[in-house]
Amino acid sequence: MKILIAEDEIALQQSIVTYLEKDGNVCEVASDYNDAIYKVDLYDYDLIILDINLATGSGLDVLKKLKKENKEAGVIIISANNSLDDKLDGLDLGADDYITKPFHLAELNSRIKAVLRRGKFGGDDTITFNEISVDTKSRTAYVNGKAMALTRKEYDLLVFFMTNQGRVLSKEIIAEHLWGDNSDLADNFDFIYVHVNNLRKKLTGEGAKYIKTAYGSGYKFIED
Amino acid sequence: MTKTTKKVRLSRKTSQSFLGISLILMVVSTIVLYFYVSNLLQDEVEEALFSTEARIETALKSNYAPFDLPPIVEIGTVAVLGVEKIKDTIIYDPSQDEMEEFRELTSFKEINGKNYRITVRDLVVESENILMAVVVSYITIILSVFVFLFYFSKARNQKLWQPFFTNLEKMKRFSLTSDKPIGLMDSEILEFHELNKEIKTLTGKVKSDYLNLKQFTENVSHELQTPLAIIQAKIENIINGDDLNDIQYGHLTSIQKDIQRLTQMNKRLTLLTKIENKQFLNIEKVSLAELMGETIQSFHEISVTEIKYHRKDDMWTKMDSYLAEVLCTNLLSNAIKHNTGESDIEIVVEDGRLSISNHGTKPLTHPENLYTRFYRESEAEKSTGLGLAIVKRICVLYGFLIRYEFAEGRHVFSVTVE
Repeated sequence: MKILIAEDEIALQQSIVTYLEKDGNVCEVASDYNDAIYKVDLYDYDLIILDINLATGSGLDVLKKLKKENKEAGVIIISANNSLDDKLDGLDLGADDYITKPFHLAELNSRIKAVLRRGKFGGDDTITFNEISVDTKSRTAYVNGKAMALTRKEYDLLVFFMTNQGRVLSKEIIAEHLWGDNSDLADNFDFIYVHVNNLRKKLTGEGAKYIKTAYGSGYKFIED
Repeated sequence: MTKTTKKVRLSRKTSQSFLGISLILMVVSTIVLYFYVSNLLQDEVEEALFSTEARIETALKSNYAPFDLPPIVEIGTVAVLGVEKIKDTIIYDPSQDEMEEFRELTSFKEINGKNYRITVRDLVVESENILMAVVVSYITIILSVFVFLFYFSKARNQKLWQPFFTNLEKMKRFSLTSDKPIGLMDSEILEFHELNKEIKTLTGKVKSDYLNLKQFTENVSHELQTPLAIIQAKIENIINGDDLNDIQYGHLTSIQKDIQRLTQMNKRLTLLTKIENKQFLNIEKVSLAELMGETIQSFHEISVTEIKYHRKDDMWTKMDSYLAEVLCTNLLSNAIKHNTGESDIEIVVEDGRLSISNHGTKPLTHPENLYTRFYRESEAEKSTGLGLAIVKRICVLYGFLIRYEFAEGRHVFSVTVE
């Protein structure tokens, strides 16, 4: 996939690039407003990650331009401003998703995949990994064509794992993905362990064993 | 500590001193007037006595026969001439049938070879009568002056002080959070005008300081997000990079936890500022009981603490739906965080009141600081110290009553909706 990252903080921009390139994506960067306008004008992207506060202009204006020119790229807005108004403005202008700084790259990646799945070009509602396939429309997971009985959280967890294949996911990241702001409530992350374990059992029961433990307390979804 | 004295109204204070001074003046001038008037009368009477005596003397010299007209005139002959004297005397006056005070002049004259004693008397106005007259006329004057002055100055003062009282009311209603200027009424009186100017300067300064402080909090929270995002992204890349050992991984995930804490703190500070700025305007009819039920449901997955919920009322209220959610979440998470032991949390909704209680070992030592930012009673490191500050702000915003008490070994928070 061809992705443009319009972010004026170079360190963050490069971190995103590093993370996304591991999945075989082609990443281009724009470090200010003019650069972003120039690149979206000239090239077509599958997805654009757009910071609202670009050094020399507003990301929302880039978004307006994209929509005016009927570019088909999916857009995820990143903003340092956790305000509902900004979020609604962005979504009203046609952005596909909105994420607030600071975010986990795994979370961003998961959202990118979701946007791409819904995308008009080559959009596919299914995520497939060997014998596992997930229909994101009906929110059902299948192993070898056989539907699995998953709870809501187990389903979310499976999708999160599958969209971040080969990545180490710490309990903190998983907790925040599943419970958002409330995840700081938990004393320890034992409940993550319970959920992961249940999912693991259901998967291995069907013959799929991809959830590995990493560094004793993290997890990784990876081919044997 | 300054001594607090009983406060009196300005108009009362001034009329009080006016009355006091008037009373003293009245007493003093009554005394003076009394002596003055009685002296004057006495002089007048004496003058009349001397004049009568002179006329009698002239009459006697012209050989008029001596005559008597007691008690006014008495003429007698004596062997030896005495010394002329004037004195007060009390004599029975048959015409009035009472004892009356007279001024009496006795003089001795040798007229045509005879020694005469001439006594003339005249009625004296009694001193009580003078005093009476003075006091009565005084009281009449003073009363009418008082009444007149009272209404006159009341009306006058009201007009004169009106800008002052209007501005006082305005200052009472002055709110830091409102973006309207104080808008004082101007006055032609120099002192009031100056006072207004000073108040305007002062409120302007306070307001701009407050705004700066608020802006600062907002900016800091905002500016921190990007560096946090960078740190978080880099840590994730390190974790996904070359092989780490378990210890390094442990350190990195612990940093992730701290970043999350900072993020939470930031979000809550921003939330507080936004509530203060009244930026939540999505007012809806919400059932706090319903919301609490949902909150319990979602917490159930994270926390092992058992939550007992008794819902006897829907607790409908009008408020921003997001803030309603925040209210329930913060109250519940506060109870979960500070719950001790294995005991359960109890939530009761009835009669427009939501109360939530968790087990505790002892009452709070400083319950008055409960809603202060970053105040932590216990060393529970999970806490950002902002949850209850937010709860309080929301309650203040919508006029809910929030109470804390420690009863039967439980910390109880209750929110009452109007």
